[in-house]
Amino acid sequence: MIEALRKKAEELLKNKTVDVVYGYGEGSVPERTRPVFITKPEDVNKLTWNKYCVYNLTTYLKKQESRKLGKPAIVVKGCDAKTITVLIKESQIKREDIYIIGVTCTGIGDPPATKCKACDVNTPLIYDELIGEKIGNKEFSFEERYAELDEYEKLSEQEKWDFWQKQFEKCIKCYACSSICPLCFCDRCIVDKNQPQWIDPSAHPRGNLSWNVTRAYHLAGRCINCEECQRVCPADIPLNLLNKKLAKETEKNFKYRSGYNVDDELAMATYKEDDNQDFIK
Amino acid sequence: MEKTLKKEKLNSLITGLKDKGYKTIAPKKDNNLITLCEIQEADEIHFDHVQTNNSIKEYFLPKTEKILSYTIEKTKVSIEEPEGFAVKSVVFGSRPCDAASLPIMDKVFNWDCTDKFWIERREAITIVTIACDKCDSYCFCTSVCLAPDAKQGSDVLLTKISDDEYLVETETEKGEGLIKELETVFSEPPSGTPDRQVATVEKKFEIDKVKPWLDENFVHKIWAEFSTKCIGCGACTFVCPTCHCFDIVDECTMSKGDRVKNWDGCQFKMFTLHTSGHNPRSTQDQRWRQRIMHKFKYYVEKFDNILCVGCGRCSRVCPADMNISEMLEIISTDEGQPEPVSKE
Ligand code: SF4
Ligand code: SF4
Ligand code: SF4
Ligand code: SF4
Ligand code: SF4
Repeated sequence: MIEALRKKAEELLKNKTVDVVYGYGEGSVPERTRPVFITKPEDVNKLTWNKYCVYNLTTYLKKQESRKLGKPAIVVKGCDAKTITVLIKESQIKREDIYIIGVTCTGIGDPPATKCKACDVNTPLIYDELIGEKIGNKEFSFEERYAELDEYEKLSEQEKWDFWQKQFEKCIKCYACSSICPLCFCDRCIVDKNQPQWIDPSAHPRGNLSWNVTRAYHLAGRCINCEECQRVCPADIPLNLLNKKLAKETEKNFKYRSGYNVDDELAMATYKEDDNQDFIK
Repeated sequence: MEKTLKKEKLNSLITGLKDKGYKTIAPKKDNNLITLCEIQEADEIHFDHVQTNNSIKEYFLPKTEKILSYTIEKTKVSIEEPEGFAVKSVVFGSRPCDAASLPIMDKVFNWDCTDKFWIERREAITIVTIACDKCDSYCFCTSVCLAPDAKQGSDVLLTKISDDEYLVETETEKGEGLIKELETVFSEPPSGTPDRQVATVEKKFEIDKVKPWLDENFVHKIWAEFSTKCIGCGACTFVCPTCHCFDIVDECTMSKGDRVKNWDGCQFKMFTLHTSGHNPRSTQDQRWRQRIMHKFKYYVEKFDNILCVGCGRCSRVCPADMNISEMLEIISTDEGQPEPVSKE
């Protein structure tokens, strides 16, 4: 697979189909990889693929420093590829402005990431070139998809509140969760706005609660469950539980799952008179 | 003063500290993290780790703290200053690199403005360090003039000399005072030369080569090449024991409010954004350069200290695998290659 990947990257750079390939390279330690930006055909050997390729590289589409390198080819796993669908829907990129190198994937991380347990995109749903043997994508029931919420949903309202109070207390307000998120692309985040100050910048209980709730809400119906926010949180806050819960509610109420089909109407940006509203109390 | 501390005496030590009115802060396991936090009992303490996830700095420079409260009436502003922020405490079991960060930061907090919050806490807190008996590939204390058993900043240094025994060395009067207060917990120093179990930390780069390179290469293509992957999340600055930038904000209504001091960091785009809209560090490579320059050039020029203790936290935490010692290795071995893009 690595050889095929390198060959494709070399070809794309040689033919000037793209100016840069966003891919995975070797990291500081064997259990880590790192994002690499290959601009010369002779550097394609820096590309690698293994179970430590956790990053969702589409986040570099929002960064001026990587965009400066020119038209990109991006190495994506199935989950990452869903981001591209959302970015196209939300008018952040045009399909023809990027080249998608999809890799088939059977799981990432050690121990495997939670998202991989009920993965239905082992073969990406959108790509220009597929690396690796095509895998028939599995199907899971609604319950199976949100199984990680089972324990959480058993808690009473008070217990849920206490749980999050304790988790958010740890937040150091670094905003790494938002910096890494490919769908947190606002040039000026609500936390950067101080006239008025919508969200207290302090890492105290009020500031932390308003930040974490706002971040999750702004991703509701959009988050594609790459789990990157949770991976990078230095305070080990289970942000994915929040994201997953909102995704579940969105699916339940709007029959919508983010990133699966470029023809679907966006859940939060589409107005319909017959929208389900009885959950709004 | 030299003593020994038997592991079985840890309980008496922690209870003793409590009886003498100390709050104890020590490494504790919390799910996937090892956190320096307040503990009540000796068995909460976690020993078998390289480094805690959070650094010691939050006990001197908290992530958020109120520096004053005010009330505005028609013709009058009344101000209330916080009290009781410096609590008599012992940090037990922090690492030598963390302890060493304190005297380095004393310089900036006693500089043009003396920061009473820092200073009073420094007086109230006693540091009992445990020398490292293991390290990982991110540690580089020995490259920045420190060591896994460095004494800088510690009031007491503990070094493992057997599976259940530490050598206790006092480094300051404060440390000596603490040991005397709890005398019964400690035993006599070992006879003969104790077998100090200290990690071997590989030296990664020649620090002497770093500043001369930085003096010459403010403009260099390596800054951008190295940092394209950096997402500017600032996590590195928040976990760093020597990063000390903060932001002051008022959290207020029309008539009253709190003035709050919060951690801030040079890796954020907003950090240098002017009200005019101009940003002197508008791209991430400029912000990454600032981090290196501040630590290995500006601080050295101003305070005669490197602003890095080699704890490796920034590299362990970085979501994009930016590795600071790798950058310093490149710098210290660069013989003028690759060429600068252009000189300003
Ligand atoms: S969710 Fe699927 S595509 Fe994504 S890393 Fe896991 S197995 Fe691979
Ligand atoms: S990454 Fe974690 S600690 Fe940082 S702001 Fe987000 S939730 Fe808070
Ligand atoms: S919110 Fe988290 S899981 Fe969802 S898209 Fe953003 S980074 Fe990925
Ligand atoms: S170096 Fe790493 S931790 Fe620091 S801002 Fe960049 S991505 Fe974040
Ligand atoms: S710069 Fe990195 S290695 Fe140096 S003191 Fe800060 S966190 Fe530790």
